[in-house]
Amino acid sequence: MVELGIVDIREIIRLIKNQYDIDFSTFALTSLKYRLEHIIAKNNLTSPENLYRKLTDHHEFFDTFTHQLFVPSTEMFRDPSVWRWLREEYFSNLDDKSLTNFKIWLPYCVSGGELYTISILLKELELLNKVKIIATVFSDTSLDFIKSGEYHLKKIEISAENYTRFQGSVELQNYYKLEQYAAKRDVSLIKNVEFIKDDIYFNKAPKNVKLILMRNVMIYFNPSYQEAILQKMYDCLGGSGNLIVGLKELIRQTQNSHSLFETVNTHEGIYKKRMN
Amino acid sequence: MNYKAVIIGGSAGSFQIVARILNSLNSNFPLPVLLCLHRLKHVRSGFVEALSLKSNIPVTEPYDKEQLKAGQAYLAPANYHMFLELANRIALSADEPVNHSRPSIDLSFITAAYAYRDKLIGIILSGANRDGAFGLNKVAENGGVTIVQDPTESEVRTMPESALKLTKVDYIYSADQIIKFLQKL
Repeated sequence: MVELGIVDIREIIRLIKNQYDIDFSTFALTSLKYRLEHIIAKNNLTSPENLYRKLTDHHEFFDTFTHQLFVPSTEMFRDPSVWRWLREEYFSNLDDKSLTNFKIWLPYCVSGGELYTISILLKELELLNKVKIIATVFSDTSLDFIKSGEYHLKKIEISAENYTRFQGSVELQNYYKLEQYAAKRDVSLIKNVEFIKDDIYFNKAPKNVKLILMRNVMIYFNPSYQEAILQKMYDCLGGSGNLIVGLKELIRQTQNSHSLFETVNTHEGIYKKRMN
Repeated sequence: MNYKAVIIGGSAGSFQIVARILNSLNSNFPLPVLLCLHRLKHVRSGFVEALSLKSNIPVTEPYDKEQLKAGQAYLAPANYHMFLELANRIALSADEPVNHSRPSIDLSFITAAYAYRDKLIGIILSGANRDGAFGLNKVAENGGVTIVQDPTESEVRTMPESALKLTKVDYIYSADQIIKFLQKL
């Protein structure tokens, strides 16, 4: 595998800023380096120079590049206790009135792991048609992948184990079919999802959202951009809306005089918009 | 002494050794200790608590972008890779498993070697696969100190033997010798 030096990474960041107007210096350096090395290997580019050339001369490659750069969620029903919390402590406490105009936003979808998970959970609660799910993707490649329902066999295996721990009402295999080299998830689960293609600045973010699922997304960004993302999420949430982040993503008190979120359950990464 | 961190990788048969190492360190140990040990991905709690019982220095599963401190041990959390960022911070990642492992010992060692260059001490203990061999090689390439637990005393030899196959390491040590080495820092 080609190893990138700091100079190569800076050059790639500069090139993308110039040609595509997106600032990848907001990414956490180590995981950016690892993903770029992975992209070079995966596309048989063999050197950083070949990646520069490809990004400069083949603008259609940028969509694939974006899809490959963003790390997908690991599997469905990762951390079953979080999904159990959502089912037992969260949705069960909502009456019909509070479900009016109920928007759930997933600001970062690559393979749809979290999107299919929340859809299954809602279907089992008979809420799937009562709420609005909005999913942001960063590339058409990701969108096509999610809409195809395709999923890696190994990931399905782990997802099924998670689903058992989640104690869903059926078996996970009710929601997918096995094909020769992959699984095919039931795409009817996501037929009412509104997809938004956006970039890391989230300019097309929805407003008045009740619940944001953004688990293991901030880890790929540097600390100052993490704060910018949190501010964005704060602005998109309606009054007392909830934000769920990864188990190891701590929302720290910022230097601002007020903090944006209050803790609901640190152990499961659940926060609530603080009202001033 | 101008080292910046110690990183330890292990899998099957390494728990007791890691516990002994942590038990033998002074509470004012001068470096951060990074622990990348294979573990069940769905079992979140128990591991760090068990190590803490034996340890003389605090052991935690770090949050993303946590700043490293001397005299503390950081255990890679379940189902995350633990990377080292250049600014002496942890960066977690939920990227694909490497050698069927997440956390991957290789990735922790490679990123630590990149961040600390020749100021890193890398130690590979007992384990049942070859994860860590490539990472320890990167530690050596960057001028860091490389130590492998003597395979003849390792409970499971695959991991130390794979590391030795790939790298001419500085020391092949028994657990007792590893402890003595660290106590002298």
